[in-house]
Amino acid sequence: MLSLNGVTHVYPNGTRALDDINLVIPKGMFGLLGPNGAGKSTLMRSVATLQTPTSGMMSFDGINIEAEPEKIRARLGYLPQDFGVYPRVTAYDLLDHMAVLKGIATKSERRDTVETLLAQVNLWEVRKKAIAGFSGGMRQRFGIAQALIGNPDLIITDEPTAGLDPEERNRFLNLLAEIGENVVVILSTHIVEDVADLCPRMAVIVAGQVQLEGAPDDLIAASKGSIWEKTISRTQMSDYAEQFNIISSRLQAGRSVIHIMSDSDPGSGFVSVDGGLEDVYFTTLAKTRAEASSSAINQ
Amino acid sequence: MFGSIFRFELFYQLRNPVFIVTALIFFLLTFGAVTLEDIQIGSGGNIHVNSPYAIAQTVLIMSLFYMFATTAFVANVVVRDDESGFGPMVRSTRVSKFDYLLGRFTGAFVAALAGFSSVPLAMLIGSQMPWLDQETLGPTALGHYVHAFFVFGAPNVLITSAIFFAVACVARSMMLSYVGVVVFLVLYFLLTGLAGSQPEYRDTIALFEPFGLGAFSDVTRYWSAEESNNLVAAFEGSVAYNRGLVLMLSMLAFSVAFWRYSFSEKGMSARQLKKDANRRKKEALEAPNVVSRLPLPNQAASASARLIARTRLEMGMIFKSPAFFVLILLGLTNSGGALWFANELYGTPSVPMTFALILPLLGSFGIIPIIIAIYFAGELVWRDRERGMNEIIDSTALPNWAYFIPKVIAVSAVLVATLFIASLAAIFVQLLRGYVDLELHKYFFWFILPFAVDMLMIAILAVFLQSLSSSKYVGWGLMAIYLVASITLVSIGFEHPLYNFGETGFVRISDMNGTEVGGAKSWWLRLYWSGVCLILSVLSYLFWRRGVGVSIASQIRRFPSRFKGAPAGVAFAGLLVSATSGAWLFYQMNVISEYVTSDEVEERLADYEKSFLQYEGVGQPSITSVELNVDLFPADGKAYFEGTYQLTNDTGAPVTELHVVFQDGYSELVNIDIPSATLTLDEGEDYGYQIFALEQPMLPGEEMTVTFQSERIKKAFRTSDEDSRLVKNGIFLNNSEFAPQFGFDRSVLLQDRTTRRKYDLPAELRMPKLEDEAARERNYVGNVDWVMSDITVTTSADQTPVAPGKVVSDRIEGDRRVVRFQSTNPILGFFSIQSADYSATSRQHDGIELEIYHHPTHAFNAERMLDAMAVSLDYFQKNFGPYQFDYARIIEFPGYASFAQAFAGTVPYSERIGFIANAADGNDIDYVTYVTAHEYGHQYWAHQLISAYMQGGTMLVETMAQYSALMVMKQMYGEEQIRRFLKYELDAYLSARGGEVIEELPLYRVENQGYIHYRKGAVVMYLLQDRLGEDRVNRMLAELLEQYRFKGQPYATTIDLVAGFKQLARDDSERRLVSDLLEEITLYDFSVVDATVRPLPEGGFETTFIASVKKLYADGEGAEQDAEFNNLVDVGAFTKRPDYDVLEPEDVLLFEMRPMKSGQQSIVIVTAEKPLFIGIDPYSKFVDRKGDDNIIEVSES
Repeated sequence: MLSLNGVTHVYPNGTRALDDINLVIPKGMFGLLGPNGAGKSTLMRSVATLQTPTSGMMSFDGINIEAEPEKIRARLGYLPQDFGVYPRVTAYDLLDHMAVLKGIATKSERRDTVETLLAQVNLWEVRKKAIAGFSGGMRQRFGIAQALIGNPDLIITDEPTAGLDPEERNRFLNLLAEIGENVVVILSTHIVEDVADLCPRMAVIVAGQVQLEGAPDDLIAASKGSIWEKTISRTQMSDYAEQFNIISSRLQAGRSVIHIMSDSDPGSGFVSVDGGLEDVYFTTLAKTRAEASSSAINQ
Repeated sequence: MFGSIFRFELFYQLRNPVFIVTALIFFLLTFGAVTLEDIQIGSGGNIHVNSPYAIAQTVLIMSLFYMFATTAFVANVVVRDDESGFGPMVRSTRVSKFDYLLGRFTGAFVAALAGFSSVPLAMLIGSQMPWLDQETLGPTALGHYVHAFFVFGAPNVLITSAIFFAVACVARSMMLSYVGVVVFLVLYFLLTGLAGSQPEYRDTIALFEPFGLGAFSDVTRYWSAEESNNLVAAFEGSVAYNRGLVLMLSMLAFSVAFWRYSFSEKGMSARQLKKDANRRKKEALEAPNVVSRLPLPNQAASASARLIARTRLEMGMIFKSPAFFVLILLGLTNSGGALWFANELYGTPSVPMTFALILPLLGSFGIIPIIIAIYFAGELVWRDRERGMNEIIDSTALPNWAYFIPKVIAVSAVLVATLFIASLAAIFVQLLRGYVDLELHKYFFWFILPFAVDMLMIAILAVFLQSLSSSKYVGWGLMAIYLVASITLVSIGFEHPLYNFGETGFVRISDMNGTEVGGAKSWWLRLYWSGVCLILSVLSYLFWRRGVGVSIASQIRRFPSRFKGAPAGVAFAGLLVSATSGAWLFYQMNVISEYVTSDEVEERLADYEKSFLQYEGVGQPSITSVELNVDLFPADGKAYFEGTYQLTNDTGAPVTELHVVFQDGYSELVNIDIPSATLTLDEGEDYGYQIFALEQPMLPGEEMTVTFQSERIKKAFRTSDEDSRLVKNGIFLNNSEFAPQFGFDRSVLLQDRTTRRKYDLPAELRMPKLEDEAARERNYVGNVDWVMSDITVTTSADQTPVAPGKVVSDRIEGDRRVVRFQSTNPILGFFSIQSADYSATSRQHDGIELEIYHHPTHAFNAERMLDAMAVSLDYFQKNFGPYQFDYARIIEFPGYASFAQAFAGTVPYSERIGFIANAADGNDIDYVTYVTAHEYGHQYWAHQLISAYMQGGTMLVETMAQYSALMVMKQMYGEEQIRRFLKYELDAYLSARGGEVIEELPLYRVENQGYIHYRKGAVVMYLLQDRLGEDRVNRMLAELLEQYRFKGQPYATTIDLVAGFKQLARDDSERRLVSDLLEEITLYDFSVVDATVRPLPEGGFETTFIASVKKLYADGEGAEQDAEFNNLVDVGAFTKRPDYDVLEPEDVLLFEMRPMKSGQQSIVIVTAEKPLFIGIDPYSKFVDRKGDDNIIEVSES
């Protein structure tokens, strides 16, 4: 169990990237949803022992992450948001090297590890190719493979599905789901579907703060009755944007389907719909933005 | 389109680290060359550091090495898009191939040119540095920099850009492009080397040599200092032609690039495709070994696996990087030539013994490991971050030590490998020369091991600074500052090795004596610095920024809490090592020995001169006999001396005080006993100068006995050079190093003009004028007297002691060998004491015992030396008079210096010259014989006749020894071979004239100027004997010797010698010649044009040609004026060009003298066979500034 208490991080330039984050993350998949720049990566790096937060307390299974990073690292699998590789090294060799670094001591164990993982992430065919020449998706799969070395208890994946095609994405999510039953897996993403499909628990983080936390189903249930939908022509969009608090819009057959949030019937032909996780997420974002702008006005 | 591609390329290149790094490296190299006295390119002597000549020369030489940088720029253009995968995108746009290639090429070329501008810039800035001596600087003229940059620099950068752009276009690989550079360089050096040895190709080289070096040297070959300081090699003649050609070649190369470059990606060949398919098939057959549950990590068990994996990765990253490859190639290219020509003298190679190759190897390759240590320290520290792998790596359970330790191991291994490669290059040269006694352990212990440790220390410092830096470039910059500081600190008087990081002193290498001199000290200093390195390592480890956004400040804040456990233990161990070894070294260097900076030494000498020069003229009694007891303890570094002098007052006036001079810094005068005298001035401690007042003045003719004891003991290490004279094997001391002398002597005084002025001394201390009769009271060899000597030397039983004198007893007493040497007739009171474990080769020759004492493995030339001694002594006894000894010895000494020196019958001879000369090829100049003959010439010229300390003094000693040696060589090898030797001497004289600092003097007034009394002297004496007759000259010389043999004051002067030559002159033209050669600075210019040959009806061939003759008088500053020539000159007809090669007698069809006058004259000769070459003064007997045009190929009429 990973618990974060009052984790706050302020960068030297004054940016408050994390602002009093309090979360308890049990075993299983945990989705961390938030827009770009919300502080997700800062939080992920902090948990991954790469960054020391300005204040706050982080612990995993009773281990203080800041005090004993090496104990966390021994149980950690981390896939950063983006990463590079050494030149002139093949996938097989680099994964083998990573296995050594992670503490897979014997050659035969490393062989088991490397070959199993390469097969799992579908890189077996290209194992003898220089990894520097890989496409983005292939490289991302390699990143996943290295994060899984040594059966970590805490897996942190920062935007893991970026750059994966649908098939690869499914494969990856299945892999995570399988592993995620027994260990803590944090899936940091801005893609709602990833969370919706997989995570029994989730949190939304915006501007360094946890805005929402809970099981996706509970959150969806809580939003019941407050999401309204209408199909309008694209030219009407700006009028509606002025009148209503549009939380999302999508195109369907050339017309815009907009969702707005309202505790009561807004009229104007809107019909109540059962919101998905996406609506919950966008509602949260919209609320946060409104608060931020009103607080800016109030100042 | 072209414009935007060009701009993009230019700015891309300018932002590329390669640009910054190369510009910085070349800036530093040039800056060093300008501001450090040890490195000089094109300057020196009276040629200013910022003279147009030095600027052009520096730009030219740097442009040659800049090829490696240029290639990085232009090859990057071609290779970059393929490597980044951006190529297809670029090529699919509408840009035309021509615009694309030309735009990018021009961009890269301009960037390369901008980088190269760091060279003139560094000269410009360097020449403004305040510590430079103003006298070595001329006025700053921006035009000279611009000229050199655009006439020589820019075309060279252009042609290398174009050539290697073409290579890269064909090869499409960085690595192959660099292979191209090396192939090009090897071919370049091979061709210019071959052609350079043939003077007739000089003109061709001037035109076609692609870097303009040939054209430049063609224009400036014999420029005087004044010309070098004021003239630029104008853009005309061969320079203009050459530069134009270079432009055309560049265009040609670019055309090739355009022609060969294809927009489409290079597909795989059928063979490669098949191979690839096979490989895939094979790989597809292998199934992954899939397990259901992944193995769990075991942190404790993976330490060794981690160490090995990290080390291997780090090493692989270096070994496979193009930068490493390029640096090694650069080093090997540079050292190849240095090794091949190592210790070559007069074109004669040396036996490439390992000990003699290590110094050239260090000199030519040494910069490479330094760059590797600094460059890769930055790469290793920053690589994970630069590659974007840091987050992945840093979040693994890799312990912190596994970051630092493998990097250190990897850098060490790479450095050792680099030095191994350098050693292999030297071994390769040895094998090419057919030398197989490789002595590999010497490479390892004298080169690889110590140097690797030194370099590792630099690498650790570099890693430490990188770990503190905010970027790789800051770290490199700090290291550059360190390098500059470590040089400047020493030069401004902070010389102590205990605070100059990584300083381990200078180790002298000798086959005889190993690394005794400096070796032990260097390892103590390595111990001391390795303790410091341990501390730096711990700091680097603790400051290591693992993770993201970790600041140095936060690491320093956290330092106290992290400084515990193993790291603290290691740091304290380091501190303990450094503190104890440092304390001990400090005790050795500062307490037992005295720490004196070189500035303090200079100041002391300046004060010495200011205080005591006034006593130079004080009359002192002469020593008439010397008894010395010398006890040498080579293994302990101890020597004890006892001496007894018999003095006679031969000054003609009463002597009231004795001035005792004892100045050696390593020896100590324990006691001197002068009867009835009181010490009135005691500056013995600081200046080695004491004045004793005699209670009773010593009357003319009165005698006195003085005894002394002195000792020389190696007590402790010194900060400066260790004693290289009293050593374990190969002691070589002379009496000025352990015995007191009487009266002030100039030989120790400061010489360098700049230094002298710094201490408010007159810039130069000139010799007394030839007309100064009073000066004839003092002689040239330290004013020592003719004495009878009785020297007993004892040493350890395994060594042989040698001193001048006849061996009267030689016995072993216990573990001591005791040998007594007595003189049989007066000798100069100037003695050598030597002792080593020698092998001896000897021969009886007409009642003279000839002996060579040499190191057991240095017997190569012993027989040749014996032959030379035999022939020399025969010739000298026949022509000059009796040889005064019944022995003649040559004794090898360790190669801490490269000379041979003549003591009475006894010639110490450096390990580095004759003993390892490879004179086996009969066509090479046999300088072993030459040097031997020269030193035995001194047994007459110095040891029978000694000249006064005044103008011309060295002519009577050195020029005459040169003449003696030349006559021996002529007898052994014939006139045709001598001319090759004289060519070297003439060239050395003419080249050195420009470097004269004070004033060039005519030979008979030479003031100890080597290029005059050795070089010009040889040429002049040869011509004189050629014209006046060898026998006549020898008879005159024998009379001169007879007149002065073993005579004291007044000593001989060149006035007698010049008079002697004038008496030999039989007519005006000979008198004119004698005067021109001895009393004037005369230069000649002979040339031949339009030689045609026709067969004569009656048989034979008639050759007609125009001979052009010019004579010039030069003054001391080099200003010239025309003079009338009317004299005989050699005319020769040959079937082979007489140059530096061997000439057989049958190659010479005609050789006779013809009268000639200034201006042009037609000359006709008739020969039996058809000549291919004709010439006037073909053997360069005159001082001819342009000897190449003396000979011409004959054409058919």
